[in-house]
Amino acid sequence: MKNLKALGLLLAVSTMMVTTSVNVMAAYPENDIEVIVPKGAGGGTDTSTRGLLTYMEKNLDGASFNVTNNSDGGGITGMLLTAGADTDGYTLGAVTVELDMFCFQDKTELTYEAFDTIAMPIGAPAALIVQADAPYNTIDEFVEYCKENNVQVGNSGSGAIWDIATYLFEEEYEVETTHIPYPNGTADIAAALTGGHIDATMADPSSFMTQIEAGTLKCLGVMAAERSKLLPEVPTFTEEGHDLVIRAWAALVAPAGTDEEVLETLRESAKAALESEECQDYFMSQGIEPLTYVGEEAAQIIADDYEMYKEIFETYDFSEE
Amino acid sequence: MTTNLITAFTEAFSPYTIILLLAGTGAGILIGAMPGLSVNMGIALLYPLTFAFDGVTGIIMLLGVYCGAIYGGSISAILLKTPGTPASAATTLDGYPMANQMGQPGRALGLSTMASTFGGVFSAVCLMIFAPQLAKVALSFSKPEYFALALFGISIITSVSSGSVLKGVIGGLVGLFIATIGVDAMTGSMRFTFKSTYLLGGISFIPILIGLFAFSQVLLSVEEEYGQKHEHKKVKIHRVLPTASDIKRVFGTMLRSSVIGTFIGCIPGTGGDISSFISYDQAKKWSKYKDNFGKGEPQGIVACEAGNNSVSGGAMIPMLTLGIPGDGATAILLGALMVQGIAPGPLLFQNSPVQVYTIFIGLLMANLVMGLFGFSLIRIFAQVINVPKKILIPIIFLMTFVGTYSYNHSMIDVYVMVGFGFLGYFLNKMEFSMSSVILGIILGSTAEQNFSGSLMMSGGSFSIFVTHPICLIFLLISFVSLLSPVLGPAVKRIFRREKASKQN
Repeated sequence: MKNLKALGLLLAVSTMMVTTSVNVMAAYPENDIEVIVPKGAGGGTDTSTRGLLTYMEKNLDGASFNVTNNSDGGGITGMLLTAGADTDGYTLGAVTVELDMFCFQDKTELTYEAFDTIAMPIGAPAALIVQADAPYNTIDEFVEYCKENNVQVGNSGSGAIWDIATYLFEEEYEVETTHIPYPNGTADIAAALTGGHIDATMADPSSFMTQIEAGTLKCLGVMAAERSKLLPEVPTFTEEGHDLVIRAWAALVAPAGTDEEVLETLRESAKAALESEECQDYFMSQGIEPLTYVGEEAAQIIADDYEMYKEIFETYDFSEE
Repeated sequence: MTTNLITAFTEAFSPYTIILLLAGTGAGILIGAMPGLSVNMGIALLYPLTFAFDGVTGIIMLLGVYCGAIYGGSISAILLKTPGTPASAATTLDGYPMANQMGQPGRALGLSTMASTFGGVFSAVCLMIFAPQLAKVALSFSKPEYFALALFGISIITSVSSGSVLKGVIGGLVGLFIATIGVDAMTGSMRFTFKSTYLLGGISFIPILIGLFAFSQVLLSVEEEYGQKHEHKKVKIHRVLPTASDIKRVFGTMLRSSVIGTFIGCIPGTGGDISSFISYDQAKKWSKYKDNFGKGEPQGIVACEAGNNSVSGGAMIPMLTLGIPGDGATAILLGALMVQGIAPGPLLFQNSPVQVYTIFIGLLMANLVMGLFGFSLIRIFAQVINVPKKILIPIIFLMTFVGTYSYNHSMIDVYVMVGFGFLGYFLNKMEFSMSSVILGIILGSTAEQNFSGSLMMSGGSFSIFVTHPICLIFLLISFVSLLSPVLGPAVKRIFRREKASKQN
C-alpha cells in the first residue's frame, strides 16, 4: 500500500514534469533570444545574421531577437561567449569561417564541436578580380602574366582567408605573386584595385560589384563549387579543371547540447526564412548570395573546412613572408 | 537636370521626410553626446527602419543620425570634458576651458554649433559640386600616402600638447605602444597578447577614450571638490548665437577647417578624429592668438568642430561615386541604399539621378536641422554646468561604466576603462597631454601597417616614399610640423638678426 502510494506520487510528479516540459517546448520562444555576433556592425557577418533573424521573426511566433555585437579578439570572444552560454535556446550566436582557422593559429582551443548548427545564410567565395583594361581575360592568361611579371595581389590580412586563397592559387598554378595586406577589409582592397595600386585580388566579390558593373574592374574566376548568382557569366576554377573552393561563411549556431526540439524549431524557421523570396531579394540587394543551408548541410561545410584549414596550416607558415 | 532637381526637392521636402529627418537628427545628437554610443551603433540600430520606407526617405533619416552624432559628441566634450565620440576629443582642448574656467558654456556651445553646421553644409556643397574630382583624390591614395598622412597626424602631438614638447612626445609614444598590442595584421604574428583572447584584437579604443578623459576627470573632480564648501554660482546664458566679433575672429579658421575636413573625409579609412586634430593644429599654426590655445580660444573650438563635421560630406564621396565605404557608418548607409535598389558606384549618377540629388539635399538639410536643434537646445544643454558637482560627478561616473559596457558588451572593456582612468589621472597630474596619447593610438596602426605595406609593394626599397609626390609633400610637412616648436624660435632669431644687421 505504501509502495503504491509512492508509485502514485512518482507518477503524478513525472506527469507534471512531462506536462510542464511539453508546455515549455510549446511556448518556445517565450522570452527574447540574445544573438551574439562576433563582428562589428555593418559587415557581411552582421548584415547576413541580422537579415536572417529579421525574416525568422516573421515566421516564428513570439520570437524577438536581440543582436549584440562583440568583436573583441578578432571575433574569438564573441564565439567563446556563445559556446559557454546556457543551452536553453535563449542565447544563440554567429560563428564565422575563422572558427576553423583560429584553432590552428594558436589563438584559441575553441572548435566547431562546441556548437550545434542552425543555418548558414552566407558563404562568399573568393573571386579573382582585376582591372577591366588589364591584358588578361581568363584565369589562364592571368597565370601566364604572373609567370612573367611581378603581380601584386591584395588580401585582407596575412594568414586571413583571402591570403590563403592566394596561397592556394599559387600552389595550384605554380606561380608566385606579391601579397599585399589591407587589414581593414575588402573595401580598402576595392579602393586600391580601382586606383590601380595593386594588380589583382582574390576576395569576396560583393565589395567589388559596383565597380564590376561599371566596367572598371572585371572578374576572371570564382573559387566555388558552383557559379555565383551575383556573377553568373564568370566561370568557376573547378570548371577550368582546378579544384579550388574557398568560402567565407557565417552560420547561426547554438551552444552544443541545446535541446533538439528547440534546434528543430529554429532550423525550420531559418529554412522558411532563407527560402522566402523577400529574404533572398534582401540578400541579393546587399550583394550577398543567399545560401539556404540548414542544420546538417551547414554543419558538414563547417566540418569540411576544418579539415581543409588543418591541412593548410600544417603545410604553410604564414608568418614567414 | 532641372526636372530631376525638382523631383528631388519635392521628395526631400515632403512632410514625411522632414519628420523622419528631425527624429533621426535628434536621436543622432543624443547618441553622439553619450560616450560609448557610437555613430555606427546608432545607424545600425535605426537601419532596419529604412526597409519600411520607399526610396531615399529612410536614408535621409540615417544621414540625420550621422550628422547629428558627430555634432552631439562636442556637447559632452565642451561641458564635461568627456568627448562623446572620438571625433570630438580635440574639442575638449579649448571647449572645456571656455565653458568652465571662463564660465561661458553658451558661447562655447554656440561656436561649436555654428562651426559644425558650417562645416557640414560646406562639405555637402563640395559633395554636390566636386564629387567626381574628389573621388579621384580618394583613389590616388595608396599605402605610402596613407603612411605619410598618418605620420603627419602623429607629428601634431607637439602642437596639441600645450605644455612641454617632450611630455607630448612621450605621451604620443605611449599611444603608439598601445597601438602595437594585438595580432599584427600585416604578418599575423601576435604582439604583447600574453595568451589573452581579449588582447588578440588589440585594446578597444572607446574604453581607452572614456577612461582617459571621463573617468580620470571624475577622479580629478572628486579630489578638487572633496571637503570644499560648495558655493552656488549660477551661470547665466545671455545669448546663444555667436557675436559678430567672434564670427569675425573665427571665420577664416572655420573655412580652412572645413576644407581640411572635406578632404580628409573623402579619403577612405580616415575620419573625424584625425581631421579635427589636424584642423586644430593648422588653426593654431596660423593663428594670431597662438598663446591662447588650450585656454578657451574660440578658434580652437571652431577648428575642431568644423573639421569633424565637414567629414560627413567628404565621406559620402567615395561611397556614392565609387561604391567604396570609408568607415563603418558609410558602409551601413551603402547597404541601406542597396536595399532600395540604388547601387552606389560610377554608374549611380546616370542610373538614379533623382535619388542622388535627393541625398545631396537630404545631407544639406540634415546639417541645417542639426544646427537648428543645436541653437534651440543650447540653453538646456548648458544647464549641465549649473548642476552641483556632487550630483553631476556621480552621474558621469555611472555613465562611464554604462557607456563602456554598451559599446561592445564586454566586461573586460570596463576594466580597461577603469585602468586607463587611473593612468589618465596620473598623466594629468604630471601634465601630460591626453590628446597626444589619443593621437598615438588612433594613428599608430595606420602608420605602421601602411609603412610595412609600402615596403611590401616596393620590394623593400625606401624610394617608394620619395617617388610618390603626395607622400613626399606630407612627409616634408610632418617633419616641419614635428620640429616647429624647436625650429620656430631659431628661425625667428635668424630673421631678427638679419633685420638688425640691415638696420645697421
